[in-house]
Amino acid sequence: MREEHGNVAPVMIAKGEDPGDVRTDVPYQLMTILSNLYPWMSDGKKIAVLTRRCDEKALAEIFKRGYFDRARIVQIGLACSKEQIAACRCSDPVPSTVDIGEPHAGVGSDALSEKLMNMSSEERLRFWIYQFRKCNKCFACTANCPVCFCDECVLEERTFVPERGVPPGMSFHLIRAYHLADKCIECGECERSCPAGIPLLTFRKLVAKDFRDMYKFSPGDDKNVSPLLTTLEGEALEGDECNEC
Amino acid sequence: MTEFKPTILAFCCNWCSYAGADLAGVSRLQMPTNVHVVRVMCSASVKPEYVMKAISQGIDGVLVLGCHIGDCHYMTGNHRTAKRIPVVQKILKDVGIDEKRVRLDWVSAAEGEKFQKVITEFVDEVAKLGPNPLREVAF
Repeated sequence: MREEHGNVAPVMIAKGEDPGDVRTDVPYQLMTILSNLYPWMSDGKKIAVLTRRCDEKALAEIFKRGYFDRARIVQIGLACSKEQIAACRCSDPVPSTVDIGEPHAGVGSDALSEKLMNMSSEERLRFWIYQFRKCNKCFACTANCPVCFCDECVLEERTFVPERGVPPGMSFHLIRAYHLADKCIECGECERSCPAGIPLLTFRKLVAKDFRDMYKFSPGDDKNVSPLLTTLEGEALEGDECNEC
Repeated sequence: MTEFKPTILAFCCNWCSYAGADLAGVSRLQMPTNVHVVRVMCSASVKPEYVMKAISQGIDGVLVLGCHIGDCHYMTGNHRTAKRIPVVQKILKDVGIDEKRVRLDWVSAAEGEKFQKVITEFVDEVAKLGPNPLREVAF
């Protein structure tokens, strides 16, 4: 990351090049950028990438679905600052190896999600309807999501979206919530990129909590060999099977 | 005021539940008529996205019926359904829609009576919950 014209932008450095004045407070998800870069990388070349804990988890989910070659990615562990942890309400911010920065402990709870779960279901529905009404379906949450890597997006299918139209009603968010259930790493990028300010991270955290309670699994878990919802236990992803869902 | 009649969508798998529904029909078992049956090849081919779409467009209840565990025509289809539908229920609960509006059940081809029982129970349950709150919401 380097500051240019007042904005922080990602930089790529080749071997032997002087990195110059770089910054380590990464404001966005590097895996989203890497997903775009990966197809353009020449064969056999390796790339090193700064990975925070969430980037690490995103990589694990990408590897599971066979999008990147494990041998071609070198990870440099980066610990998040306290401000970043507070902004993401992150409970698991320390990467497996810390190369840069100082590890800080995570934040245990999310105030808004606790408040929501203490509400009655009518109140909760009213809250979410109010929030989702603000959504103008700009797809920013999808475009910036590190784990949205399907070639054909389910949210653009004709079954769910009319031709040249926008996704109707609440289905956009409900379908997205389901689709991300077994891969959302709670990085909070959707919330940060949302122009309408919908607390999407809170929604993700609520779903992730239920998911943990049901399947004892949280996305980014390396022990699990394949996507949880598309495959059965212990079953590896076959070549001809859809690796997008 | 007229009595509330819920609109129910039932996804029935071709090999068990749809045949079970057929059996219930030819046996002339009485059951509520406000159920729309959609025949699918396997309960696992019911994308949870379809359930989400139905609920968000104002359907009062969605029923997913498949073969009993171990009886699936495609060996493991219903295992996958059993994994996915609970996630749908939890997501609906999180946004404040009653999770009872979505139900997963197993009906085999020989269980016409169970089909009648499941339909009657589910329609009663959804009728008690009242209309889908999303029906009235304009986005």
